Amino acid sequence: MKILLMGHPNVGKSVFFNRLTGANVTESNYPGTTVDYTKGWMKIEGEDVEIVDVPGTFSLNPKDRAEEVAVAMLHENKDAKVISVIDASKIERGLYLAMEIIEEGYPLVIALNMRDVAEDKNIVIDAGRLERILGIPVVSTVAIAGEGIKELIYRIKDAKPVNVADIIANAANASNTESAADAGGAA
Amino acid sequence: MKKKLSDMDYNEKGAVTEIESDLRKRVAGMGIRVGKTLRMVTKQPIKGPVDVVVEGAETSLGLDMAEKIVVEVTK
Repeated sequence: MKILLMGHPNVGKSVFFNRLTGANVTESNYPGTTVDYTKGWMKIEGEDVEIVDVPGTFSLNPKDRAEEVAVAMLHENKDAKVISVIDASKIERGLYLAMEIIEEGYPLVIALNMRDVAEDKNIVIDAGRLERILGIPVVSTVAIAGEGIKELIYRIKDAKPVNVADIIANAANASNTESAADAGGAA
Repeated sequence: MKKKLSDMDYNEKGAVTEIESDLRKRVAGMGIRVGKTLRMVTKQPIKGPVDVVVEGAETSLGLDMAEKIVVEVTK
């Protein structure tokens, strides 16, 4: 099995990578470019898993060489699972990229990283609720402190492709139940 | 009042009303889309980039990109 770590630049992909793989790492240039990427191996429940630290990208419409490599690596690994690393304090644009990857049919797990930084900015995210809306695992993490890494590994097996139409329906349901709860609270 | 993003003053807030079509996909990944509220925080001198805050996250845009975005300024 192959797992791609994807996300914006500077969200902590490489910290995850080092946490997941330990020291068994080879670094190489993507053929024909000078953009570095790193891959390594880890064991999940006895199975050898290849982890690839993909260069950071803002979207799947590449704007520079590094982003082209990121998108090409995603498209070359149609059978890979993706860990979408999101800066929890900038969740909106992180989800934009995650949704693009979901639309292409990849099984996805979301790591809401930098939970501590987001909390410092008074941003608290209900990961369970986001998980119910998206239909894929969502784990809050603080990668540099190792928080949430075990849960993330445990949840990789639950990653599955989801339909965007289902997400839209879930989101509509979620906001309905919320407004119903508000009305109940008022009465 | 409508203004180009590049013409906004410090601390001015507004909702994005127009983005030139060739730019739309490039800035969408940074959280800038039609209808989003943004606040201008810094403009660098000598045709430098424009910094804006969208949904609590800071982003900087080249002046040439900021010129292609129209904002309905509220205050």
